[in-house]
Amino acid sequence: MKQIKFLLFTISFLILTSCYSVRLRNVNGAPQLDPFSERDDYYRGMAVIEIDTVINIKLTSKDFTYLIKENDVCESGKLNMIEYRNTLGSLFLSAITFGKKRKVKIKYVCEKPQN
Amino acid sequence: MATTKSKSLKEWNTLHKNGPFPLKTLYQTKLEGERLMPKKLDRYNDVALEIQRLIKETHQAGDGFRAYGSAWSMNNIASNKDRMHFNGAMNLSMPILDHNCHKDSNYDPSNLFLFQCGNTIKEISETLAENGKSLSTTGASNGQTIAGCISTGVHGSALDTGAVQDYVVGLNLIIGPNVGDIVYIEPASKPALSNDFVTTLNTRVIRDDDLFYAALVGLGGFGFIHGIVVEAEPIFLLKRYVKKISKSSAFELANTMDFKNSTFFIPEETDEQGNGKRPYHFKIFINQYSNDPNCVVELMYKKPYKEPYPDPFPVIKESLYKDLIFLFVKLAENFPKSIPWLVKRLRKTILPEVNEETTGMLKEIFWDAPYQGPAFACSFGIHHKHSEKAMNLLGDLTRNEGPIPGIFALRFVKQTKATLGFTKFPITTMIEIDGVLWKKTKKIMSLEEYSKRMVEVLKENNIPFTIHWGKNNAWDFPGLVNLMYANKAEDWKEQRKKLLSPEMQEMFSNKFLKTVGLA
Repeated sequence: MKQIKFLLFTISFLILTSCYSVRLRNVNGAPQLDPFSERDDYYRGMAVIEIDTVINIKLTSKDFTYLIKENDVCESGKLNMIEYRNTLGSLFLSAITFGKKRKVKIKYVCEKPQN
Repeated sequence: MATTKSKSLKEWNTLHKNGPFPLKTLYQTKLEGERLMPKKLDRYNDVALEIQRLIKETHQAGDGFRAYGSAWSMNNIASNKDRMHFNGAMNLSMPILDHNCHKDSNYDPSNLFLFQCGNTIKEISETLAENGKSLSTTGASNGQTIAGCISTGVHGSALDTGAVQDYVVGLNLIIGPNVGDIVYIEPASKPALSNDFVTTLNTRVIRDDDLFYAALVGLGGFGFIHGIVVEAEPIFLLKRYVKKISKSSAFELANTMDFKNSTFFIPEETDEQGNGKRPYHFKIFINQYSNDPNCVVELMYKKPYKEPYPDPFPVIKESLYKDLIFLFVKLAENFPKSIPWLVKRLRKTILPEVNEETTGMLKEIFWDAPYQGPAFACSFGIHHKHSEKAMNLLGDLTRNEGPIPGIFALRFVKQTKATLGFTKFPITTMIEIDGVLWKKTKKIMSLEEYSKRMVEVLKENNIPFTIHWGKNNAWDFPGLVNLMYANKAEDWKEQRKKLLSPEMQEMFSNKFLKTVGLA
């Protein structure tokens, strides 16, 4: 019983400590705003793009670059802030697929376009 | 052509969730792209026509119309139940050149810039910094749009500088749907732009001191503010100190503004005789629930710009003593959600000891203030000589009739010329309480009741006061505007009538203006 409790505790501890977010924000520039947004978090009023996907990497690829492109929610095509989230699940996924599948969970806000 | 997106809605809210307020349609206008319309002036004039089209459409529907920027006001001043326009995407900026100036202008043309309404303080500061310039002051934050700041009288704590509207040189307003309904207003006593330049904005010139100073803090009632000409100054550095000092020293400074003969001074900031220098910025933080005989003060001294200087961000990013809401939320974040519990803990909480020193540009010192969740703020303007008395009265009220989940700060601002500027005293102390929004219970009065009691207490104790236009308060208090501004309120209304047709007066009115009797 003690061993099961210890195992559960260790797993919970690993899950909790391996889930974290890091936000990077430009010192300069203003975020693109979205007056129609109904968010109620740190990004209230901002035009936020969220990506929650798994990318497949070819065996021959050394790395992978995700492109930020101009669109309605990212008019400038330039980043103002980005937040990425890491989880135990994403670490496992990468480990068991030898890095071929990578979980990407990010939020980003682009620079407000300068007129 | 500039384009407008619209969305049908039922309600709209401020950034700090002080509503919701009813709304039928929300507009957002974007300028024509640079590739299709390379000249800034052409894009500026093109979008003015689009705004006139929206005004026409709104007028034909018999609706009201109001523009807003960052939604930072904490009451319904920026709201209209019918149609609202988000200005954020209208952020052109243009330097004013020597030959654009009026022949009688006393301004240094290199300090003059035209900013479109949706530029935020941050965007303006960056544009100016690229030109070796700076704003003279801000609202001690950088997220508000310039049009929103001046319309509500936003201020920092620059005691010899003034509020944001005090460095505005001229206003470009759209006051109706017709040809001739775009005007540029500047004081006749201080002309800045030449008629030839103003004509290139498809605008007619009005040089009139009374009209200009009424429209300056216009509460959104003088039409659509399209462009604002501001006077910047050469870029400078601020040396910021945060110290804990005795409350008696802090209030002696607040009451007298005599920094030269004060017992408190910063050794590095003294003159040749060893007397304290007058700071650019002075702010006092007060936790009214604590018996701590000391309080935290923030002082800033203006310095010439020179590189290199230490990176200010490690201190600015971590400093508790930034925005008052930020400080309160940080003090409260480890406490229970229950307001009585929170206040009980606040009684045992002294403001943390600090000894911060930082140097940076204005735009760095007052950097981004992140959203802190639903919040309230009540802010009164009083003559600085009443600082201690007013703080004691409002502190007693908050302790004895509260509890209220907020803490106080005092800031100091030079007198404005704006007709309804709330910084109307020679040096106005802005005494403010900021905190988290709460729900009325049997034991805790509502925000509306608390605001009303604050007005009553100041009135009963014969302390003349004004109220920050963009904050929470008892705006329906009988005769409030006359109590604060006497005949100046009538002057403001007269100037508004002089500028706007009766239909446009109605269209640019809203519930807030009607409540305070200024519609």
